[in-house]
Amino acid sequence: MSGWTIRLDGSESPTKEAAGGKAWSIARMRGLGLPVPPAFVIGTKACLAFLDSGDFPAGLAEEIDAGLAWLESETGRSFGAGEKRLLLSVRSGAAISMPGMMDTVLNLGIDDAGEAALAAETGLAGFARDTHRRFLELYASIVLKAPVELEGNAAPGDWRAAVEAAGGPVPASVRDQLLATVRAVFESWNTRRARRYREHNNIPHDLGTAVTIQAMVFGNLDERSGTGVLFSRNPLTGEAEPYGEYLPRAQGEDVVSGKFTPLPLDAMATAEPEAHAALLAASDRLEREHGDVQDIEFTVQSGQLYLLQSRAAKRAPAAAVRFAVDMVAEGRIDPATALSRVSAEQVRTLLLPRLSDGATDGAAVLATGEGACPGAATGVLVADADEAERRAAAGEDVILVRKTTSPDDVHGMIAARAVVTEQGGSTSHAAVVSRALGRPCVVGVGDGAVAKSGTVVTVDGAGGLVYAGTLATEAPNEQADARLRQLIEWARAASPVAVVDFAAGPDGFDVDRALAAGDAEALAGAIGGASVVRGHALANDDIARIARGAGATTIVTEPILPVLLTMIGDAA
Amino acid sequence: MNDRDLALHGAAIKRHAPAKAIGELVGLSEERAAALLADAVATGRAIEAKGAYALTPLAGVALQSRYGLHFQHLRDDAGFRSAYDGFERINRTLKQIITDWQTLDVGGQKVANDHRDKDYDAKIVDRLGALHEQAERILAGLARGLPRLKIYGDKLIEALEAAEDGDIEWVSDIRRDSYHTVWFELHEELLRIMGTERDE
Repeated sequence: MSGWTIRLDGSESPTKEAAGGKAWSIARMRGLGLPVPPAFVIGTKACLAFLDSGDFPAGLAEEIDAGLAWLESETGRSFGAGEKRLLLSVRSGAAISMPGMMDTVLNLGIDDAGEAALAAETGLAGFARDTHRRFLELYASIVLKAPVELEGNAAPGDWRAAVEAAGGPVPASVRDQLLATVRAVFESWNTRRARRYREHNNIPHDLGTAVTIQAMVFGNLDERSGTGVLFSRNPLTGEAEPYGEYLPRAQGEDVVSGKFTPLPLDAMATAEPEAHAALLAASDRLEREHGDVQDIEFTVQSGQLYLLQSRAAKRAPAAAVRFAVDMVAEGRIDPATALSRVSAEQVRTLLLPRLSDGATDGAAVLATGEGACPGAATGVLVADADEAERRAAAGEDVILVRKTTSPDDVHGMIAARAVVTEQGGSTSHAAVVSRALGRPCVVGVGDGAVAKSGTVVTVDGAGGLVYAGTLATEAPNEQADARLRQLIEWARAASPVAVVDFAAGPDGFDVDRALAAGDAEALAGAIGGASVVRGHALANDDIARIARGAGATTIVTEPILPVLLTMIGDAA
Repeated sequence: MNDRDLALHGAAIKRHAPAKAIGELVGLSEERAAALLADAVATGRAIEAKGAYALTPLAGVALQSRYGLHFQHLRDDAGFRSAYDGFERINRTLKQIITDWQTLDVGGQKVANDHRDKDYDAKIVDRLGALHEQAERILAGLARGLPRLKIYGDKLIEALEAAEDGDIEWVSDIRRDSYHTVWFELHEELLRIMGTERDE
């Protein structure tokens, strides 16, 4: 053995440099005693040897065969033969995740006989056929670099012919398919985008990538199988309660596709109590281990729980604040870590104006659509971008309403308080531009909205509603929220600059007046070493940075927490 | 298209831009574009504010009515039309990529992407790179039909590379020639050339 491959059985913990990030994380989970589908990794050293010589180094193919034999014994399945097929997921995995590299080939190991075996085992002929198709599509796209869309109703022979016409033949043996895939992963180290990314992030070119080869598990194998997602806490509200969903007899893609409505986790507790208990224990273990809220993908195969992936959970702004403060109280993290977990942007989002409590009671809904950018705003509906710009410049609050928007309307969108369109969904031009501008936006309200121009309305960009008339809106106060107050206290202790609100702040250099008179570039000179600066414009990160760079030691503005977080982030 | 209409056309696509940017977009020198735009202001076809130009509504309608004349040969050109169809096809992917760039899926709900997760952002810039590789053939097809359209391809790769270099504002910032800004200007240009309406 030349040591080209490493078994991820939890007995040793390979470094990220040697095994790549994905294998490292699998080994770590196994080391914690958590259930992960069996896997081995071809180390980065093999990639470097391959790139050096243009071919597999001596002994690698044999080690891969030995790894496959081990996966077969671990799973009780066989690769490319028999009634219970071993299918593989093959992934690239550099020490640092980077774009431009080959991603993942799933279901490797299926062929015509394998499809028949899988159909017999699951009783789901359609699923087996679809598994086969998805493998061929991934193989075409990733290994042969010739993406094809295969007709769902066609026969596998036709699929292979289509793939061959587009990018070349698919090897007949599944072992050769695997070796070709490993080759493609190695070669993807040197794609234009991967090289560019490394150059601009000062990552050496001679690290190489690993290849993780893992047994596929099937959430749709039988009645005791399923798949789901678990957050160790609620990522929307921040509550310290597990949050997730479970889809019995399904694959992970079925959850993502939205074709099926998953069940709450309670359903899993009833159907598979042991797997459910193991999942909650794993969730707590991983959260403690990482000191952060986890987002866990899992599959249950015939009653046995498998964790597929665990990573820091993405979170809504309110949850980010709550996680950070609560986890300090629980002794899981320190205040400095808590501050690093909340961004200025998240706090600004929390402080966006919104409809006051009870403001919508008895209000008439004028139009309903899809909320594309949150926030609330009141103004008069104006159907023409030029007119919107003119009236806004004259001091009027306007809401731009269009059938659809085009680049022709962007100046009107900038001038407007909010944007409403008759057509389009969350990816429409209006939605994209409104989000880039931070304007509340409701899209797709249907015909007739433009005809209502001249009407005063209130737009609720979160709920996707347009109300008649002026409703009460309010900007939440950062001091009124106990958790935000706690963060402000920690942030003040950590910030290199004092940041205070208008009521508490001393007089100082008036940044708003200076900006009105000149431009941002001249601001540093104008500040000229004043130690105290004041103004609403300082709530903007760039302006605050200019002021700090010009020597200000006290910034007087509102809200203060976002500026504090930016200053701490810059100093870190 | 004559130079006068080219300048007006540029001002229609790039609203409230200075003569230099309008000229660059349609392939006129800054001086030539400035002279034509000044003339348009003098004859009531355009308005100027702080060195930036926009068409008057009537001039916009008149320009629209001349597009059939200017662009009929492209509308009839099978190669150009097929490149345009290709653009509309990948436009859906582009819009999804930009939406995924701006929003995160959190427990089944959409929240704004605050760009703290560098891996997430890198993956999306990578998808943009992959899309651009598909777009290159389409852009080449469009430029074969109308050579001045090459500028869009040049500006798109410039924005993509700036984003790849880590300056992420070049993905979708509205106030610069970001990938999204240039892409939508191209879309607007193509809609005008083909005489079709935006379909959202």
